[in-house]
Amino acid sequence: MKEFARRMVGIDRRIIFLLIAAAVLLPLVKPFGLPIKVSPEVKAVYDYIEALPERSVLFLSFDFDPSSKPELEPQAVALLRHAFRKNLRVIGMTHWLTGTGLADGVFSKVAAEMGKERHKDYVFLGWSPGGGSLIIAMGQDLYKAFPSDYTKTPTRGMPVLDGVQNLRDVNYLVSLAAGGAGIEMWYVFGKDKYRFEMAGGSTGVIAPGLYPFLRSGQINGLIGGLQGAAEYETLITQKGTATAGMDAQSAAHFVIIVLVLLCNVFYFMLRGEKGRPN
Amino acid sequence: MPEPTTATILGAWVAAGLTLFIYSFLYKDNPLFKLGEHLYVGISVGYSVVLAWHTVFLRLLWEPLRKSVSEAPTLLESYILLIPAILGFLMLVRFIPRIAWLSRIAFAFVVGFGSGVAIPRTVSALILKQIEDTVNPLITMGANGLSMGLDLASPQSGVNTIILLVGVVSVLFYFFFSVEHTGPGMVTARMGVYFVMIAFGAAFGYTVMSRMSLLIGRFSDLIKFSGAEYGYATLVLLAVTVLTLIGWEALVRQERQGV
Repeated sequence: MKEFARRMVGIDRRIIFLLIAAAVLLPLVKPFGLPIKVSPEVKAVYDYIEALPERSVLFLSFDFDPSSKPELEPQAVALLRHAFRKNLRVIGMTHWLTGTGLADGVFSKVAAEMGKERHKDYVFLGWSPGGGSLIIAMGQDLYKAFPSDYTKTPTRGMPVLDGVQNLRDVNYLVSLAAGGAGIEMWYVFGKDKYRFEMAGGSTGVIAPGLYPFLRSGQINGLIGGLQGAAEYETLITQKGTATAGMDAQSAAHFVIIVLVLLCNVFYFMLRGEKGRPN
Repeated sequence: MPEPTTATILGAWVAAGLTLFIYSFLYKDNPLFKLGEHLYVGISVGYSVVLAWHTVFLRLLWEPLRKSVSEAPTLLESYILLIPAILGFLMLVRFIPRIAWLSRIAFAFVVGFGSGVAIPRTVSALILKQIEDTVNPLITMGANGLSMGLDLASPQSGVNTIILLVGVVSVLFYFFFSVEHTGPGMVTARMGVYFVMIAFGAAFGYTVMSRMSLLIGRFSDLIKFSGAEYGYATLVLLAVTVLTLIGWEALVRQERQGV
């Protein structure tokens, strides 16, 4: 038995890669449809948007780039579908330079699908430098911070921005973030100063660090990773790429848990052997 | 679903190929991975530079400056944008050693302005607000009089407030090195370690989920691009990648034997 444990501890890591690849690939090819339970933090975002009156202003900040696309694009698509279905006006922007094209693509795709018009129902402002300073500038005057949008159309006079002068006129803001320049920054320089309600959508990596903000009420909801996106898709009853990926996610997690347990068993079996830690 | 355009098919071939090239690193470092890696870095930088040029230089500086100067050339405020332009230019003089000291003016402005804006806001939003939430009341007055919530699932319940307070104090004590961790101090510090381990566990779990999501994203695209409408891009490029790796491996072995 010890010999087996010894061989297993020294197993070629490429076999583990293959196991994980198989665990991800098989459910994607043949899904088994595990149920998706909606968490209160995701439901809070849905409920807030659901309660907004028609033509209210939803501000969506795409604070990510293509490296986080698999987690945050499904969140963006689900939020946009919900907002457009509710006939809300959507203002978009990004703090991540390399995410500009991706964000505009998501807007165009979902707007075409839902029959919405650029500059009338939504506007994508694009990227501008400054981070926190830019948020402060937008809090003072949106038109000075963004004199024109991503398509170089002057923002002043756009029907979608009717009655919107600065961030105080935004009814709800959701930052979809893959790092520091996102939810935290929007709270620190935006919500805390200009008093609008906001929520966050994040990658799994940064989600645990955002729970203190949720608990303290600094954000009213949190969509965490692909799981959060799948929950939101369940809430809007329109399945997308996140729901499709959840079986694969569960299967991969199962394999990892089994591997961690086996590794610990082998470790304890070999404990005390010469050259191995006690 | 609409038929993919030529541009989409071409994009699918590039995306599938580069994904497979990057994943070939899981076998071992190889020229295909290097090609993918260098293309990624080059394209990211190129894209950022072009966007920054158009957004920052042209849209925020050149166009408004040209407009204001042509409309009112005698007004001093028409030239106001020259101030940030000069400050920005001063940052670049770091590359000229003789006048590199001039860049300190621009950096002083950035640091001074940045600190002034960030410090009060950060203290208020990230420290004071979080401290406030750490000391929530245990007993609350409701419709039925005084009560203490015992629901572990509710973040605001009294029992969770106690756990939070114990966690914050014990973790802070663990990182307080001016007192020897013996007796009750050791118990508190040990408790702090457990809280830290739980936090690390949660962070690691979420990180695994995040990384798996990225893998799922790439695999979903690879499956999509393996269809006939994309010219079986994934399957063809997978075969190309495997054959190239076999050829490269044989070449490396041959060279090694030759040495």
